[in-house]
Amino acid sequence: MSRRAAGAVVLADGHTLSAFMLRRLFVGQCLVLALHLTYMPAWLGGLAALVAGYRYLQLRRRLPRAGVVLRLVGVAALAGGLWLHYGTLGRMEAMIGLLLGVYLLKLLETHSRRDARVVVLIGMVATTVAFLHSQGIAMAAVALLAVAWLIYSLVWLAGAANARQAWHESAWLLGLAAPLMVLLFLGFPRFGPLWNLPQADRAATGLTDEIAPGDIADLSRSDRRAFRARFEGDEPAPGERYWRVYTLSEFDGERWRRASPSRFATALEQGESPWVAEGRRSPWSSVTAPRFEAELLLEPDRRPWRPSLGTPQISGERLRWLADGTVEGLTPLASRDLLHLSSSGMAPSWLEPQGMHRHTRLPAEGNPRSRELAQRLWQQAEGEPRAFLAALMSRFGEAPFRYTLSPPRLTSRDRVDEFLFESRAGYCTHYASAMAVMARSVGLPARIVAGFLGGERHPDGHFTVRDYDAHAWVEVWLDDSWRRLDPTAAIAPERIEQGAAAVEGAGDAYLADAPFSPLHLRGVGWVNRLRLDWERLEYRWQRGVIGYRDEARSALVARVVERLQAFWNALQEQLSSRAPLTWLMGLVLVGVGLCGLLVGLRAAWRGHREGRDEALRIRRLQAWLTRRGMPPHGGESPAAHLRRLAGSAEAAGPALRDCAHQFERLRYARLGPGERRSRRQILGRRVAEVKRRLASQGRPG
Amino acid sequence: MAIAPGMALPQRRLFLLPTRFGVGWAVLVLLLLLLGINYQNSLAYALSFWLFAVASVALLRTWRNLLGVRATLRLPAETFAGDEVRLGVVLEGGRPRHAIEVHAAGGRVTEESARAGSTILDLATGRGEATLRLPACPRGEQRLPLLRLESAWPLGLVRAVAWLASDEALLVYPRPRGEEINEHRHAGPGLESGDFAGLRRAVPGDSPARLAWKQWSRTGVLTAKVFSTPPRQQLWLDYDGCRGDLETRLSTLCARVLTHHQAGDRFGLRLPGVTLAQGEGASQRRQALTALARFRSGSNPGGTP
Repeated sequence: MSRRAAGAVVLADGHTLSAFMLRRLFVGQCLVLALHLTYMPAWLGGLAALVAGYRYLQLRRRLPRAGVVLRLVGVAALAGGLWLHYGTLGRMEAMIGLLLGVYLLKLLETHSRRDARVVVLIGMVATTVAFLHSQGIAMAAVALLAVAWLIYSLVWLAGAANARQAWHESAWLLGLAAPLMVLLFLGFPRFGPLWNLPQADRAATGLTDEIAPGDIADLSRSDRRAFRARFEGDEPAPGERYWRVYTLSEFDGERWRRASPSRFATALEQGESPWVAEGRRSPWSSVTAPRFEAELLLEPDRRPWRPSLGTPQISGERLRWLADGTVEGLTPLASRDLLHLSSSGMAPSWLEPQGMHRHTRLPAEGNPRSRELAQRLWQQAEGEPRAFLAALMSRFGEAPFRYTLSPPRLTSRDRVDEFLFESRAGYCTHYASAMAVMARSVGLPARIVAGFLGGERHPDGHFTVRDYDAHAWVEVWLDDSWRRLDPTAAIAPERIEQGAAAVEGAGDAYLADAPFSPLHLRGVGWVNRLRLDWERLEYRWQRGVIGYRDEARSALVARVVERLQAFWNALQEQLSSRAPLTWLMGLVLVGVGLCGLLVGLRAAWRGHREGRDEALRIRRLQAWLTRRGMPPHGGESPAAHLRRLAGSAEAAGPALRDCAHQFERLRYARLGPGERRSRRQILGRRVAEVKRRLASQGRPG
Repeated sequence: MAIAPGMALPQRRLFLLPTRFGVGWAVLVLLLLLLGINYQNSLAYALSFWLFAVASVALLRTWRNLLGVRATLRLPAETFAGDEVRLGVVLEGGRPRHAIEVHAAGGRVTEESARAGSTILDLATGRGEATLRLPACPRGEQRLPLLRLESAWPLGLVRAVAWLASDEALLVYPRPRGEEINEHRHAGPGLESGDFAGLRRAVPGDSPARLAWKQWSRTGVLTAKVFSTPPRQQLWLDYDGCRGDLETRLSTLCARVLTHHQAGDRFGLRLPGVTLAQGEGASQRRQALTALARFRSGSNPGGTP
């Protein structure tokens, strides 16, 4: 028996929340803010501290509650701050900031249980909104903690007497709910978005669709993940891991630009349809069978690019297939997403609808020395394109050309000339650009492809492609097909085989912007193993939980149905092979046996409890008597009840009297454990006797 | 609808009602599900399912928290009209139960009185008791108010409600009131014990102050000192001897009964139609007070002034 400790959650007046409860709410707020920490303006943390400090002082010094003016000023200041920070309140980030701010400010006017519950509800919404930023393991773990804490606060609000009780109840609630949650998660049908909601804005990172020699070096400074991939079937060899993203075919003497469908459409004043088609299958692709089937786990990005190993052919969802043999998503990705994409592993083999002349176009003048060199080599090759290209490649492979990620800056108008005849140091964009210019100058169609080369292969078989794997190479139209030609392979073959990290003299630029990246410690065995393990776990989590979409759900449900079907079939077979009667008998026997076992267990349990608790035994006897029309009178003690009945019950009289006597002894006398046990046994026998005799004599008149 | 005291709360008499917070929770789950659908966000799906599952489990646990609770009432020993009634409530649950509220129906005039008529019990060991303070009630046999057992444990999403009705009646004595109470108390003889009158064998229950310790050390026999009782008044308390209306007269008589009992007097009671013979002691006091409490003007042939 415990009277609950008064005023733990509420103050003595019975409805105002105590400082104790407000502290719990504040801890919940801190946990929810922790989820948003890297995505929200930092001053929201200050706001939390400010509001909590105000409440602390108010309760401590017994100041009046925050008036309506103060609360309005708080909301106005919040909106103003967000407007200054984001420049608008219409963006997703600003709206999330508003939600968080209101969640924090609500503490100012939280005085009753009802208010506290509203605060917890807003906290739940804020927790969910954090998932729009990231659905990683760390986020899920902290969110789990936050939700557990919020539930814990609710249990306090419902009247928990102490922390142990509150934790105990929260653990039961969350634990018992978990299986149901898993079932719902696996079985609930998934729909497409019902309507469009504002999406969080993602920074555009990684590749750009415009390259001047020098650009991709910036990417080599970053270890940001671009995407991850897993192959069903064949994996590409290291020299085949060319992920095509963009083709750049417009050269203005300085920069290479992508000729996107929309640019064509505006330039030619007609629709995009000749250059792009939506669907699940490439409309351009010829009959070649897909070589690689990749499952890509893409990172969010503002642009809808999708990487493919060679020419994309078939996809699991609707995409925009471009005529240059690349592919785009219908919308940019706001969060990580899975994509199934089959591809050929080779450059495309069809002619674009706008014809080939676009790929031989060069500015009328510029880079005269390169053109001259190209003409000379062309003549030496006697107009044979292969010989010409081989000569070019071998030229790059010789000294004094060198590969470096921090080349001297090119400043003149004729950058290709400057690179080829003066600096002679550079990386993929320099070489690819020079090669494409020279090929075009002798009339060979050529373009630059921007994408990724390589990727880190994890022991479990998935690849991680990072920003520093970004690469540029050349495609040349030869014998009715585009041919991939990578000049970097001539100058730095280790870049192709082992990745950007292996390049000697890659220099200080490699990972320069990620000083704390664990990738620096690749050489340290256990650190690297730990990193790989973590990345594998992350990858599985992302694939399994985040990528759980309708296809995965249907597949799972189908598998379950299939299993059940198989089981049912097996049962049917068994049934048909033997006599159904035997089966029926067997089932009935098993059922009866189980029921008997349950009844026996229940009786044993009751007997066990009654054997230790005479009050329970007497209460049950009284209940039995009541059912037989001999209830106790109001206010009558159990012993008095039995003695009264003993007068009218002939045969059962002595047993009833003895029951009353034994019960009183057990209840009130000081007994040793041995005597107590023996008296309990006697009581048990007497109770049985009473029931037997009364049952045999029927109802007493 | 209601159950009787001493009866384990059965499933049919236990009602579950959603609270406003429960409705809010349902809206929250829907909102999170919409977030999950529209943003194709697996964790938002998972959280909304989890909160739904938590609510289902909470529903069950709320129901289970109140199911099978056995409530018994402890009536106050005696109650005078106008006094607050202190009604003891004992809850037994067999297993730990939490935050069970007991409310007395009616009398919810102000927040103050509403709170006085309710209490929260925590049956951490399977048993708990508390006292309900009910508002004053008039003289006579009063039915006990309907008691409401409630629990919103563990989350406050739903409220399990059951009603408890007792057929026991509370006998409320008249409110003792009279100008002569104080006079009687001091002027009345026999408030103090008189002179030493001898020894008698001690019986259990004798006050230690009255035991003759010296004699015990001398003789080995435990005896108690007896003092002479002062001469006591023999009197009749008469309804017709009082002034005022019915209740005033009963109040005055009640005050006299209490005073004379305290003084140790022998007294009898004459009410119109009811006569209680002279007597003394606790039983006489109880009988007199009961007669006063039960007295009705209808049974009074003389009529009230």
